[in-house]
Amino acid sequence: MREPPYKTVLKPYGQSLLALARERPEVLCLGADLTRQTETDIFRDAIPERFINAGMAEANMIGIAAGLARAGHTVFVNTFGVFCTRRCYDQIAMAVAYPNLNVKIVGFMPGLSSPGGPSHQAIEDVALMRALPNMTVVDPADALEITQAVVAIADHPGPVYMRLKRGEIPAIFDDGHRFELHKAQILMGREQSDVCIIAAGMMIPTALAAARTLEDHGVKTTVINAPVIKPLDTATIVAAARNSRFVVTAENHTVLGGLGSAVAEAIAEAGVAARLHRVGIKDVFAESGSREFLFSRYGLGIQDIVAAAWHGLSIHRPVPVAPAPEIIPGAYSPV
Amino acid sequence: MRDQKPSDLRRLAAKIRLHATKMVAIQGFGYLGQALSSAEILAALFGGGFIRAGRDRFVLSPGHYVIAFYAVAAELGMLSPAELASYGKDGALLEAIGTERTPLVDMVCGSLGQGLSGAIGFALASHLAGEDRETFVFLSDGEMEEGQVWEAAMFASRHRHRMGRLVAVIDANNSQVDGPVTSVATIEPLADKWRSFGWRVLDVDGHDVEALSGAYASRSADSEPLVVIARTDIFGRMRSIPPAVDGHFIKLDSALQRAMTSELEAALA
Repeated sequence: MREPPYKTVLKPYGQSLLALARERPEVLCLGADLTRQTETDIFRDAIPERFINAGMAEANMIGIAAGLARAGHTVFVNTFGVFCTRRCYDQIAMAVAYPNLNVKIVGFMPGLSSPGGPSHQAIEDVALMRALPNMTVVDPADALEITQAVVAIADHPGPVYMRLKRGEIPAIFDDGHRFELHKAQILMGREQSDVCIIAAGMMIPTALAAARTLEDHGVKTTVINAPVIKPLDTATIVAAARNSRFVVTAENHTVLGGLGSAVAEAIAEAGVAARLHRVGIKDVFAESGSREFLFSRYGLGIQDIVAAAWHGLSIHRPVPVAPAPEIIPGAYSPV
Repeated sequence: MRDQKPSDLRRLAAKIRLHATKMVAIQGFGYLGQALSSAEILAALFGGGFIRAGRDRFVLSPGHYVIAFYAVAAELGMLSPAELASYGKDGALLEAIGTERTPLVDMVCGSLGQGLSGAIGFALASHLAGEDRETFVFLSDGEMEEGQVWEAAMFASRHRHRMGRLVAVIDANNSQVDGPVTSVATIEPLADKWRSFGWRVLDVDGHDVEALSGAYASRSADSEPLVVIARTDIFGRMRSIPPAVDGHFIKLDSALQRAMTSELEAALA
């Protein structure tokens, strides 16, 4: 792993999708009037004949993607996470998930990474997609993981939902990092720990920063990256929970139905008696604002994870103060 | 609302643009084009006294236009200038895309294509309550791509006898994120589409306050629902904006802000 401040990579998804399409003629790229915003201007400019702009018509786009997939194409569908989940849920369920088609739905601006308010903040996309049979759900954390995930989800024969922060993406992992569709990775930790933090996507840098603060204050901490929320790597997660006194999940998503729920189900069904706290959006719609403002106001900060662990472990000293969050560059606009 | 002369409405439109330019300058980018194209539409609607405060309802379907609504609301004394200055800031009441916190408007949708359905709900409710409350709904041409608009359109004409008076106005500025609407979808013939869905259609110059006022005034209780297609320019025909600027999401540097401000102030002089 690299150390913060992380370098960033610009548009790793857009670059990777084009590289994939150059190798695989069956790959098509669909969008809904957000071409530059979903990094697919790169694809459109290079291979215009395999790029289709469906306009602001997401339900129709999903139906078209399903037809293309039935005809043998691997179809990447790109728009904001809110629009490719909420707006076309029945179409995804019946036209894509049920027939188990090769449609990869890529939803940008997950959780509170959009300043555009509740209409643009995909806070329950994982819960919706996770509930659909046949659907794989991916929330990658860094530029390398995104690059590898594009290939992995194309190789997987069936529907996938992948949520992506757009634009400037941090490079957290070393070149040896391997993204796999059935694996969570222990990023730091040991055989027995006080607290196990399980996170995904944009919460990974936050989880790592929280872990460093906890370790500095004598709390033995394990951090697990769970970029595939469905199917969850329950073996890795249950084993880590079994060897920890307290489990904290951290997700840029409502605490209902996402990573925290998936972890809760896994450890409860395995009969592990670990106590659990879910850091995430507390069953509320948020508001407009900068990412730093929103992550702080809605409890997605480093300090929120530190405090959750501290209280969970019943440590009676004052909660250590975590360093201020790193501001990742790149201006964010609602479109 | 006041009932104003055409010259007053033109001044109101210029003031809407001036407010919006100042508000977008706070962040240096934003939904300025939406205010530039819709300034006369809203000036005529609110300044012309068509919407009776506390009685009629106003639905703003594309929430990205809320900046223009804030501007007209401030000009009509419903919002303070201090509130306008907070537009788009962290924790501010006036958010860049309309939400449930948005003041004064009866309904606003940040997710496009949903406003006409809500407006129909208000119009049905007026009829059910036996109240004289009209419903005005502002739509944009880009959101015509969403199927829900047409589900609503065919419902409204079928059920018009169960609805209070409903007037839709479309800002047809031919602008969406990816470029001209006409480059993305077959939107035209827009008037014929609405007509074939059972609506009475008026197709007007959306920067002509008299044409807009005349169109709004022609609404009647016992005909089809009325849709006013207001043909506009995303730059509001402002000469100070270079054509290469992305009208959907204008990046407003200080030079452009100065040029626009002087053009608007000259219009108000």
